[in-house]
Amino acid sequence: MLAELINPYYLQVASFILINIILGVSIYITLSTGQLSLANAGFMGIGAYTSALLTLNFDLPIIVGIMAGTLLAGVFGILIGIPTLRLQGVYLAIVTLGFGEVIRVIFVNWESMTKGAVGLSGIPHMGRELLNTVKDLGFDPKVLGLQNNQFVFLAIFLILLAVTVSIIAFFRRQNRSRVGRAFAAIKLDEKAAESMGINITYYKVLAFAQGAMVAGFAGALFAHVLAYISPADFAYHRAVEILIFAVFGGSEVIWGPVFGALFLTVMPEVLRFISEYRYMIYGLIIIIMMAVRPQGLIDVNILNWVKLKTSKRRQKHGTSSQKSM
Amino acid sequence: MLIEQLINGITLGSIYAIVALGFTLVFGVLGIINMAHGEIFMFGAFIGVVVTSTFKGPLWLAFLAAVAVTAAMGYLLERFALRPLRNKQGVSHLAPLISTIGVSILLENLSHHIFGPGNHPFRASFAEISFQIGSITVYLVQIVIFVISVLLMYALSFWLGKTKAGKALRATAENLETASLLGVDVKRTITMTVIIASAMGGIAGILVGMAFNSVTPQMGLSIGLKGLAIIILGGMGNVKGAMAGGLILGLAETFVVVYGDSGYKDAIAFAAIIIILLIRPQGLFGQKISA
Amino acid sequence: MKKQLKKFAQFTALSSLLVLSACGGNQAAGDEDGESSGGVVKADIGVISYISGPGAAYGEAITNGLKLALEEINGKGEVKINLVVEDSAGKQDQALTAAQKLMNSENVTGIIGPTLSTEMNVVGPEADLNGVPIMGTSTTAEGIPQIGDYVFRNSLPEALAIPAAIDKAIKKYDAKKVAILYGNDDVFTKSGYDTMKKAAEEKGLEILTTETFQKGQSDYNAQLTKIKGLKPDLILASALYNEGAVIMDQARKMGIDVPFVGGNGFNSPEVINIAGDAANGLIVATPWYGEKEDDKVKEFVSKYEKEYGKKPDQFAAQAYDALYIMAEALKNAGEADRDALRDALAEVKGFNGILGEFSFDEEGDVVMDPTVLIIEGGAFKEFN
Repeated sequence: MLAELINPYYLQVASFILINIILGVSIYITLSTGQLSLANAGFMGIGAYTSALLTLNFDLPIIVGIMAGTLLAGVFGILIGIPTLRLQGVYLAIVTLGFGEVIRVIFVNWESMTKGAVGLSGIPHMGRELLNTVKDLGFDPKVLGLQNNQFVFLAIFLILLAVTVSIIAFFRRQNRSRVGRAFAAIKLDEKAAESMGINITYYKVLAFAQGAMVAGFAGALFAHVLAYISPADFAYHRAVEILIFAVFGGSEVIWGPVFGALFLTVMPEVLRFISEYRYMIYGLIIIIMMAVRPQGLIDVNILNWVKLKTSKRRQKHGTSSQKSM
Repeated sequence: MLIEQLINGITLGSIYAIVALGFTLVFGVLGIINMAHGEIFMFGAFIGVVVTSTFKGPLWLAFLAAVAVTAAMGYLLERFALRPLRNKQGVSHLAPLISTIGVSILLENLSHHIFGPGNHPFRASFAEISFQIGSITVYLVQIVIFVISVLLMYALSFWLGKTKAGKALRATAENLETASLLGVDVKRTITMTVIIASAMGGIAGILVGMAFNSVTPQMGLSIGLKGLAIIILGGMGNVKGAMAGGLILGLAETFVVVYGDSGYKDAIAFAAIIIILLIRPQGLFGQKISA
Repeated sequence: MKKQLKKFAQFTALSSLLVLSACGGNQAAGDEDGESSGGVVKADIGVISYISGPGAAYGEAITNGLKLALEEINGKGEVKINLVVEDSAGKQDQALTAAQKLMNSENVTGIIGPTLSTEMNVVGPEADLNGVPIMGTSTTAEGIPQIGDYVFRNSLPEALAIPAAIDKAIKKYDAKKVAILYGNDDVFTKSGYDTMKKAAEEKGLEILTTETFQKGQSDYNAQLTKIKGLKPDLILASALYNEGAVIMDQARKMGIDVPFVGGNGFNSPEVINIAGDAANGLIVATPWYGEKEDDKVKEFVSKYEKEYGKKPDQFAAQAYDALYIMAEALKNAGEADRDALRDALAEVKGFNGILGEFSFDEEGDVVMDPTVLIIEGGAFKEFN
């Protein structure tokens, strides 16, 4: 019964949604201090290439590769973050845009390492590696009534789901902590925040590096889910796509980019005829949202309204349905 | 050979400079980076192709049509993507940047659908005129491009510095509210700025189409990003800086091919953005950034 | 979904029963009976194609070629094929989801496509893992059939096409020194360059310089001026026809008049449309030559033109032959079974299609002789 319900097609789509959600979170973090980073596609590429190269050339376990990719993206985040902090909003956005492109050009030209535009293929696949591992341990997915490929994609989906939920949980917690309040203060008014004794350099670099790490992490996952990457995957268009998750969904609360990534990944899949006009629609969404609702679809008010509704329901039924957000 | 490469570099640089002048005008007045400028430039080139190749029209008509269409696009851009953001409370200073990114994505994909993804040749007999100096072939278009870029630069400097409209423009750039109190029609000034900048993009588009015989929907993004690099190089809002920055980038890109690795040609512009902003944020020729 | 699965199970059970009975019938009663009742194999074949986005023209040609072949094959009645077409938009992730849908929701017996080699790099391993035979009709990069036992292609790989073209050009023009120019941020042109470089080194050519260009670039003067100064006998250019045509135009304007040798991506009548007279002197190797004196080719060209109002290109021709190869293999397999189809495909030898005589080697790669063409006086002609 279970076996028939688990269709790798749906799991595949779900996996891409989860990766996009993580990317949406990555841009949200930097935006929560009022900085716009357009380098997240580049950081994603750093994470993806680092992890792919380490696992391909040194046979390291995937998890080590992913961690290394995440960390390296974070290091680049700090390196780029510290000097750029002297710059104001628009200038920062442009430097990050330039940085993303430089990263891409390096991937294209560093042929001995990255194979240039041809890309890296045969990257260890998260699900297939896991399948081999459990088979070595003497476990056969058929015990659960699963085909091999069903097991592979179910495993990927569950891992990504767990990871995504923990990332969201972590940043929701951080938002309510000292760090989160500092971020909010900086976003509202940098000078006022500074005069209140908040170390804005520290917090801005922190936010920038966190965003870079999360993007690098998503990139590393992307590499091991798709098993193939090329520089074109991390170009300007990817940066814009990530930006749209936040613009459409909203950047005030973490649920905004999460919703944006979810909706904008599902939409072209469900409405196949739309996929041809995908980028035109993206463009229109940005223009309209900026003019009409610059804070994005989901803002604090909507969230409060939903909370109110669910808490009322909770009183009635005594169960939480916050997952519906 | 060196002289030929020098001519190549100056031609490319002049085109970059014209594109950058449009960027710098909008930034100087509005403090906005117009990410859609490259795509407006691309539409100008396409209008040129449509007039000369599809309708077999004369070149002057192509210029007129391109200027008219891109000016109209400039108006629409200002009306629908910039004006709604201007007097809104609580809109982040990033909003216009993001909004124009939206316009650029929309225009790029729109041209995919209207004109098709392929390369469109730009056939104008004017583009074929050339003369021989020793072993070097120089095309008239190359000279025209250089002359137009210099003329535009001087016209713009003169207009901004000496005329009443230009003074109004600079007053608006200094301070929107004060200018408005002093009787400058701010709304009209801003709209006019965006329209003029866009029309300049359209002219640049046709020149590129003629010089390189190649027009594609992707050309906007590439040249838009270059233009961005140039105004940072030359100093934001600085007219002469944009011209100099354009020539520097054009020559640098050409000589990377001559003496180095052509694979890194594109990286120069972006590396320049990063280095300049980190070391000398006001640009090579700028005095100070006005926030 | 459950329903579909059930249907499929019933269908395969039924068809295998039929085949079994047919065999039995053959032995017992004689062949007349067997042919008419159980000989027809019915199968769903999935198609992943680049139908929307900038490269939609490729996908259109491919699906047109497939549809034309489908009509003829089903008309003959030896096998009944049902095509299930999915769009990939030229993106790896979308190609992969399309493949998942075909393999798991539609339960196809085999897959034709996807269009790009990058997509195949992602889809191929997945199909191989699931045991679904997959055949590319336009994937020309190196290493595609080597992905696994279930991965095939009938598209002429660059590794065959480019050396053939270079060989003939060297002989004709007595070339010794070459310059190479390629697009380094595109998979297609980069892998074409790798093959080109290898071929040039093997033939002992002196490579004077290697220049690159990028997408969206419209000014190639710097690179071309440099090449002009080095005076090569030939220019090897790995470019898509869009950029390639502009490069030739600018080169001719500058006074470079040596022949160009291009890869698969350069091979299109569009080069002549864009570059005009400047396109003269382009040499390409092609699996498909529409002017060939061959009845099958003539019939295909006239049918295609009647149906779609334009001349078929290599993408349409390769797709057309691909479905015939699938049909042939299905007939030989005798049942709509993925493993049986794979084994039958691997056996295909000496198939005679519109592209000429075709066989798979042990790895599932192409064995065939390409035709070398040159543009002369504004038209493609056979190059000797």
